[in-house]
Amino acid sequence: MKVLVVEDEKGLAESITDYMVKEGYICETATTFQEADEKIYLYTYDCVIVDLTLPDGNGFQLIQTLKRLVATTGIIIISARNALEDKLKGLEIGSDDYLTKPFHLSELNARVKSLLRRRQFGGHTEIRFEEIVVVPHTRKVYVNDQLTTLSRKEYDLLLYFLSNIDVALTKASIAEHLWGDNIDSADSFDMVYSHIKNLRRKLIEKGAADYVQSIYGIGYKFSQP
Amino acid sequence: MKLLVKTNRIYLAFSLIIYLLTALAFYHIVRLLIYDDVESRLQIERRDFETYVRIHNSWTSSPYFVENKIDIVPVSQHTRQLTQTRGVFTDTLIRNRYDDELIPFRQLTFYVPIQGTIHRVSIRKSLIQTYRLIEAVTFTMATFLGLLLLGTFWFQGKLSGRLWHPFYETLSRIRHFNLNSVTPLRLSKPEINEFNELNEVLQKMADKMQHDYQSLKEFTENASHEMQTPLALINAKVEQLIQSEQLTETQTNWIGTIYEASRRIVRLNQGLLLLAKIENNQFQDAQLINLTQLFQEKLQDMDDVLSFKKLTVHYHQLTPFDVKLPLTLADIFVTNLVNNAIKHNHSGGSIKLDSSTDYLSLSNTGGHLVSDPNRLFERFKKEATGTDSIGLGLSIVKQICDSYGLKVTYKETNGLHQFYITRLLLTDSNN
Repeated sequence: MKVLVVEDEKGLAESITDYMVKEGYICETATTFQEADEKIYLYTYDCVIVDLTLPDGNGFQLIQTLKRLVATTGIIIISARNALEDKLKGLEIGSDDYLTKPFHLSELNARVKSLLRRRQFGGHTEIRFEEIVVVPHTRKVYVNDQLTTLSRKEYDLLLYFLSNIDVALTKASIAEHLWGDNIDSADSFDMVYSHIKNLRRKLIEKGAADYVQSIYGIGYKFSQP
Repeated sequence: MKLLVKTNRIYLAFSLIIYLLTALAFYHIVRLLIYDDVESRLQIERRDFETYVRIHNSWTSSPYFVENKIDIVPVSQHTRQLTQTRGVFTDTLIRNRYDDELIPFRQLTFYVPIQGTIHRVSIRKSLIQTYRLIEAVTFTMATFLGLLLLGTFWFQGKLSGRLWHPFYETLSRIRHFNLNSVTPLRLSKPEINEFNELNEVLQKMADKMQHDYQSLKEFTENASHEMQTPLALINAKVEQLIQSEQLTETQTNWIGTIYEASRRIVRLNQGLLLLAKIENNQFQDAQLINLTQLFQEKLQDMDDVLSFKKLTVHYHQLTPFDVKLPLTLADIFVTNLVNNAIKHNHSGGSIKLDSSTDYLSLSNTGGHLVSDPNRLFERFKKEATGTDSIGLGLSIVKQICDSYGLKVTYKETNGLHQFYITRLLLTDSNN
């Protein structure tokens, strides 16, 4: 999987690249419009992450070029502008997703994965982790081949974990993933805790190992015990 | 009052005064001239009379058959001085012999000795003709001056209407000028120098305003971008740091605190920028939105949170309450109020939604308000318990209300906190 990150802030581009490389992607970076433009002409990417405000050009233009060249490339806009018009315009000209800065790297990762799943297999693919199998197409979860009934949020939570295996996920990022940016409540962390407790219980009941580990002061991590 | 009406009124009042004064002066002058004429003729007649008396030393009224022409009465007082007087002019009314009418006369009274006796002689001249003349002159004058007055008044109205037309044109264009729109203010170039100058000045001001407004908007955008990017960087780096395996528990805890703090700055920055944007009217295309429905949907979305806090939602009368708001802001508005109702609720409490075509009320159970309820909508005002909140949610709600002709009020009765939203009357919002 080849991913191109177009972001003028070098530090941020570096962080994203590091994260993506760890996830097993081949990742390239472009920090200017010119560089990005060259790269998309020369190579084919599965996914391009584009910042809208670049020092020498506009991200929208890049997206238009991309769509003309390789229509199957997945496009995710990352922008500091939280304007609705930008989101609508981005989606209109063919981007697949829009993330407002600052975002959680784990969130970006989950979005990239979900996008690639949709693009490559039309969603007809299973996500497998040890004895856990998730079928995104039908939103069904199997543990040791037994159907496990999860609530909507528990399912979202599991998928988020599975997209970020071995990664420490902060409580804030989990809460925002489940309830959106506007979740601004002191209760949200308690809710995260309660959902995680339920998910854990349901998975263990069906005979799965306890993969959810809590990290003191930070959040949780889904990994081999 | 309109400028033209005002000037016309002043003009009318002024010309009426002048008109009345002129009429009065005219009347008096004509009267004076006529009197002068009559009196000089009476003086001549007096001389005639005196000559006659001196020659004949007697008087017979035979040649004077005109009625009331002369009246001679002997006076008993034998005073010499009387004969020296020049005579006295008086106005008198004498009854006509035939048709019993009072007719005005001018009378000259003097004393003459006839055959040794002093007689008082009154010679009179009828003023009836001259009165007619005055009447005719006055009437003609009144008519023509009146016509002139009306004519000039009408002309003045027409003329100033035409002269001031560019001014009113400019006024209406300014009124329809929207700072937010891309189209600059376009004013005509009238012939009249003053208006032309006015338009030029206004044009310059409008251009400057639009330019400044544009740069302010850009500044807001740029500030947003410039601040969000480093914050994004901090967050990303902290997130990476969290992933490292070699951290001690204390270090992890510190990082967790840094992470939380930076998230707070992000939210604060976003909140302040949002407030600035609403204040600058940067949200366009307001549309008719059914707030009741939006609240219902939002409460259903939050069903997770509600059940977690064991909150029950009561829907009362749910008549659509339609308001004109940009979609983004409507969503923020509803989210903030619903979040507020959930956050300041206690476990097992309730939220009540009630609306009609004129109002919407969202109330929630909760603890007693510690801070001043009047300052609830101020920025960074928050209840001590909710340290997690950034204290901008309700100020954003208030700002949205202020900018879009709505009014939000807060009331607490027996632990029930109610937010009441109404439309401002049109007259209020225009002020």
